[in-house]
Amino acid sequence: MRLEDKFKQLNQEGKKAFIAYFPFGFPKIAYTNDIFLALQKGGVDIIEFGFPFSDPLADGPIIQQASACALKQKITVDSFFDNIKKIKKDIKIPMVVMSYYNPVFQYKLSNFFKKAKENKISGTILVDLPFEESNNYIGEAKRFDIDPIFFITPTTSAKRVKKIAKNSKGFIYYVSITGITGPKALKYSDISLHIKNIKKITKTPVCVGFGIHNHQQVKKISSFSDGVIVGSEIVNFIDKHYKQKNFLKKLEDHVRRLRS
Amino acid sequence: MSLPDKKGYFGSFGGKFIPETLSFCLKELEDAYRNIKKDKKFKKELKTLLDEYAGRPTPLYYAHSLSDYLGLKVYIKREDLLHSGAHKINNALGQALLAKFMGKKRIIAETGAGQHGVATATAATLLGIDCEVYMGQEDMERQKANVFRMRILGAKVIPVTIGTKTLKEACSQAFRDWVTNVSDTYYLLGSVVGPHPYPKIVRDFQTVIGKETRKQILAARGKLPDYLVACVGGGSNAIGFFHPFYKDKKVKFIGVEAAGFGQGGLSAASLVKGKPGVFQGSKSYILQGKDGQVKNAHSIAPGLDYPGVGPEHSFYKSIQRADYQAVSDKQALAGFNLLSRFEGIIPALEPAHAVYYLKKLAKFGKGKTVILCLSGRGDKDLDIVRKYNL
Repeated sequence: MRLEDKFKQLNQEGKKAFIAYFPFGFPKIAYTNDIFLALQKGGVDIIEFGFPFSDPLADGPIIQQASACALKQKITVDSFFDNIKKIKKDIKIPMVVMSYYNPVFQYKLSNFFKKAKENKISGTILVDLPFEESNNYIGEAKRFDIDPIFFITPTTSAKRVKKIAKNSKGFIYYVSITGITGPKALKYSDISLHIKNIKKITKTPVCVGFGIHNHQQVKKISSFSDGVIVGSEIVNFIDKHYKQKNFLKKLEDHVRRLRS
Repeated sequence: MSLPDKKGYFGSFGGKFIPETLSFCLKELEDAYRNIKKDKKFKKELKTLLDEYAGRPTPLYYAHSLSDYLGLKVYIKREDLLHSGAHKINNALGQALLAKFMGKKRIIAETGAGQHGVATATAATLLGIDCEVYMGQEDMERQKANVFRMRILGAKVIPVTIGTKTLKEACSQAFRDWVTNVSDTYYLLGSVVGPHPYPKIVRDFQTVIGKETRKQILAARGKLPDYLVACVGGGSNAIGFFHPFYKDKKVKFIGVEAAGFGQGGLSAASLVKGKPGVFQGSKSYILQGKDGQVKNAHSIAPGLDYPGVGPEHSFYKSIQRADYQAVSDKQALAGFNLLSRFEGIIPALEPAHAVYYLKKLAKFGKGKTVILCLSGRGDKDLDIVRKYNL
């Protein structure tokens, strides 16, 4: 499913997108597909599927530790795609891959996008690949009809906002804070003002991520944006509960509660 | 054309591969640096600090005994004699002064061996700016004296307990701090690595080494040397030393990396054993697996224990302007011993790698003139060396 169609559908239903992040291979590769399907069942609209990197510069302790744990399982880009293939027919919601540039660069952009397309990936987010370095990336994404998603942050200048808004497809990832991922208190008025300004120049949906970790924040931020991205909170929940009985049901209920 | 280009590239290496939040700070830094470079007051103040406080110019010393032993003409550029014990102070004073001119209230830094941390703590104290240094827990164990020195100088040393607990993680943590505290904080990066403009700024502040050396050797011998030899971790002392000789095509550059355990074991030889990739802000040679995950590095010298290298070195390698070699932990200890016994100079373990390389050079370079950049002194390494029962 295309991101554009998903946002249209949500719009018609009068809903905002609830996007859930979790990393491949955490806590073990064997859990990944079950977690994916539990999140889907719990009402997640879009999955932001993390491909872990050894040096995640923009991530806080929760995702750093999850990435390190996943890397111990000897994950590779190939095993990532092979794994998705196994549940491809059960996937009903759009998937976006989030990673850092080097694993994709080593795999070669065109190979990566080819595999991504074969496996129903709708968009890609590369944390350390800013707009200026993205000529080839944007070109290849277009060739394979995958949406390259870029970040706008509180420190992005008005001039850059215009360029990024023009090039980001599917949605724009607005970073709520100047900082790294992980639970934070958020200033709604600042975020709302920034989003208003971005919305003045683009029709592309704007979703907000970083720091969002409870139901109240989800509700509040959804009220003035097109959706929210929840990452560390979900990773933390997985970490705390995966050894327990009925873990998947608990996870499903947890995301349902977060978005309700 | 002078490199890096406008986008921060040295050939196909360099660039700015960073989370979006940092693009604002890097632009601010680039603009501030461009203006200040031409500012007479800044230049004068930095020159005074380097000469009167840090102890520049440093001597170029002809090493008689070592020369006789090796059959080479060995000159040593004595960066080890600088205040705080290493070449790191050249960059720390330059950038701390830049931070002060930019009105920043807080300086953060990463450190491996602790030399850059000590240099930054020194410069920050001198200029009255708060200083916090990220250091891997393993390095804090290995370089206790430097941790204590930083604390005496009033800096806060923050242990980094994730991953390898060494320089690579300390650097990531410093970037994360910077992303979080962009408005009042200056990130004083210690080597010619990271996103543009750092490789350029740090190089510019370190070229004082090569500029002095060039004048000194011409005064001493009336001609240029055959070889320049320096150790390479991130590569700041080497670039600062090499760069002013760039156009002197007959002067050969040799960068000496850490081969660590040697023979297929863990190393820190990014240029010799790595391949191009994107890591901590720039495209350069890195030690990595087939899948683009960055490997753990190892070197007996904490200042070389890093799986990446400055993009300008990758460029020098690609155009064959410099030759990069690797020397193991054991060989570095032999180099440490060699300089101590022949010349009464105890080197840091980082340049001890370059000292050892002179033995290899002696095999094919009989009678040649070689200048070694002795980037730091060995006091900080006595605990490590003691373990090996020299």
